[in-house]
Amino acid sequence: MANTSPPKSYEDFSVELNAIQKSFPGVRANSNGNLKILKGTIHALLGENGAGKSTLMNVLAGVYRPDSGEIKVHGTAQIFRSPADALNAGIGMVHQEFRLIPSFSVAENVILSSSPPVLKAKEINKQVASLADRYGLNVDPAQPLWQLSMGERQKVEILKVLWRNGQVLILDEPTTVLTPAEVNELGQILRRMANDGRSIIFISHKLHEVSGICDEATVLRQGSTVAASLDMKITNQEDLARHMVGSSPMVTQRPHKGNAGEPLLEITNLTALGARGTTALNALNFVACAGEIVGIAGVAGNGQRELADVIAGLRQAESGSVVLNSVNATNLSPQKRFELGLAYIPEDRLGVGLAPRLSLIDNAILRVYQQQRRGPFIAAKRAQTYSENIINQFEVRAGDPSGAIASLSGGNLQRLLVGRELDTKPTVVLASQPTRGLDVKGVKAIQDLLIRQRDAGSAVVMVSEDLDELLTISDRLLVMEGGHVRGEFDPRTASREEVGLSMVSNSDLTPRS
Amino acid sequence: MKKPRLILREQPLAGGQPAAFGVGLLIALIVGILLLYGAGHEPFKVYSRMFDASLGDADAWAKTLNRAVPLGLAGLAVAIAGSMGLWNIGAEGQIMAGAIAAAWVARIGENLPGPILISGMLLAGVVGGGVLALGPALAKAKLGVNEIITTLMLNEVAIRLVQWLIHGPWKDPDSFNFPLAPMLPDQGRLPFLFSRAHLGLILAILSIVIAAVAVRYTAWGYELRIAGSSESTARYSGISLSKKILTVLLLSGAIAGFAGSIELAGTADRLTETLSNGYGFAGIIVAALALMRPSGVAAVALLFGAVQIGGQSIQTMGVSSSVSTILQAFILFGAIGAGVLSRYSIRLDNNSTTQQESES
Repeated sequence: MANTSPPKSYEDFSVELNAIQKSFPGVRANSNGNLKILKGTIHALLGENGAGKSTLMNVLAGVYRPDSGEIKVHGTAQIFRSPADALNAGIGMVHQEFRLIPSFSVAENVILSSSPPVLKAKEINKQVASLADRYGLNVDPAQPLWQLSMGERQKVEILKVLWRNGQVLILDEPTTVLTPAEVNELGQILRRMANDGRSIIFISHKLHEVSGICDEATVLRQGSTVAASLDMKITNQEDLARHMVGSSPMVTQRPHKGNAGEPLLEITNLTALGARGTTALNALNFVACAGEIVGIAGVAGNGQRELADVIAGLRQAESGSVVLNSVNATNLSPQKRFELGLAYIPEDRLGVGLAPRLSLIDNAILRVYQQQRRGPFIAAKRAQTYSENIINQFEVRAGDPSGAIASLSGGNLQRLLVGRELDTKPTVVLASQPTRGLDVKGVKAIQDLLIRQRDAGSAVVMVSEDLDELLTISDRLLVMEGGHVRGEFDPRTASREEVGLSMVSNSDLTPRS
Repeated sequence: MKKPRLILREQPLAGGQPAAFGVGLLIALIVGILLLYGAGHEPFKVYSRMFDASLGDADAWAKTLNRAVPLGLAGLAVAIAGSMGLWNIGAEGQIMAGAIAAAWVARIGENLPGPILISGMLLAGVVGGGVLALGPALAKAKLGVNEIITTLMLNEVAIRLVQWLIHGPWKDPDSFNFPLAPMLPDQGRLPFLFSRAHLGLILAILSIVIAAVAVRYTAWGYELRIAGSSESTARYSGISLSKKILTVLLLSGAIAGFAGSIELAGTADRLTETLSNGYGFAGIIVAALALMRPSGVAAVALLFGAVQIGGQSIQTMGVSSSVSTILQAFILFGAIGAGVLSRYSIRLDNNSTTQQESES
């Protein structure tokens, strides 16, 4: 794309973030976040999932308060107590999930955060229209919001920030909801805003879009800035990708035993829709065999979640088939699939896999309560023995097994869930992000359980955003992108860099496999 | 500066609910003293009258218990739906529907022997309440239509139906043209246990015990609790949500209908427009106070009944009905508010980070 050179005034940064730290219970999201944004530029903020991009930007937008570190806006240090404070300082964020009111008109949504005391619809529509025209944001101010496409709603969100005269606009993965043509248009709109002296921070992990739109890029890895303000004109995509995935660390392979047996899970030409009605899975194929762990890698939002849901029977397949133990399970209920030998460890532990307000015993017997019936009653003794067995065997540390499980730690919740699922001797295990958010010991324990299950002859499918983990325990590694399997790697020979590149790059960077 | 903050407890405090109940009651009574004093009454005389009228002797207990029966059953109806996260706001109408059905059985079977007639009336009440809940139940289960709206609107339908019946086809020819339905046949009335406390007391206790046991110990109740805790977990484990919604809302309506037939055969003795007497709406408060647990409904209903009976009795002392109603509301809100607070702990926040201190 032919970028006009932005006006550069190096003496003046619109935003400076210095040594930002932010922790959440059990997770350090940012340990050393640094960022300097020049006035009048479009700045890419890059990083893998969980690199801390969104947290850092939420700190800048006043959603989170940093544990330590400094925020400077136009040279003055600022403390934001709320998003309203940040907006007053000229910083506005367009979140991935839009915050708009469907029954309001475009103009009403735009003026929401600072409306005049008396609303004159005509007047406001005119003002919003002129603001929109200035930057080529072609939306009709009078149209009700619910009639708008996702791309148009994004424009309304941008207008909201402009209405408050935001000088710094943060866009959190703005292209995920856009068509390629809309991405081009967005690039032009952002360029006009930059030429007007505003700064734009563009969070993304799609490298080809970033290089077309942005002037500079900062890369985060594991919560810290690893490369700051790279000039996009002299930095190529491969360099950026290397910064994002890091240099190949020592990945210790876990021992693999024997060869894969007969196929237990066969996915053929599977197509399914995502939450927004877009195609999430696109003619996807893969097979998982007895005695192997198939790792599924990929940047979030490329269909992994939908794939897990469709295999588990929680989401309808549009076409294609799911075959479990040679039985076509495509249209079977989740419970029928369980009876066919499928254990499912869902991404959402508390809320899908476990019922938060119920007791440990109630949760432990979820899969087998029908077998524990005595007439209409659930045999309390039998249920208790059953859950004690799971508690002991899988080392779930819980005070009172009849207390609500919501008070258990993440690691113990996951041991309970994984234990419950594996205790039924499944032939196929589907685990979605099974170690996310756990501490080192918890991660090891869950991985050990999955490996043990593989060694016992099950087919294990593990979806994870942690590439190191997948390289450590997978026997085969598939990379998902755009709803299908982009590449297959042998974790014993593939380098982290190679797999990482195929995850974040566009299609002209094909993996060397 | 230290700021107090409310933190939701992970586990409810052991015994916190009854203790909070007591404290809330006490605070309400103290506030009530001010109210009564301000209105020119002698607070302690009023309180002692309230107590005597509701819990003072066997007759007083009978009145309170007869009041607690429909309140408890209506509360149970709401709580059963509530334990799955559903709101049945239509118990008021379902009580009426149950009473209509029971009255109809009494009309066509007026010569049947007592036990058979009463059994038939009670069964009809169950069916009647269930029928009124059928529409909302189907709409919610099959189409996801909000059950709050549908059950609420059907209240109006049931009450108009009663009005039409007693002004029209069921008007008693001997009522000197008053809009009154005929009295029940004598053998169709519930027998008294003591004083005027009727058999409905035992039926209500049985219903509550059975429901509490079913929710806590059966596979059916287990599925209900799973679905109430998380719909996604229910789907994950193969529990059919729509079937569950259907049965639970029908059951909820049936229990309210049962209350209607008991009220008809136990206290009202004839179908009237005021038979439901707000019990269906009060049942929502009863259920909320019992934290949607069927096992807690009985105690709350008893308190509620005593407060209502006591509140009515002081009106004969010249306490105006509005003051009496405010007093009743104080007592119930005191208990509810304290009940909610018992689930929180108060923490004094030390503004520790240097940033915040530099600002404040």
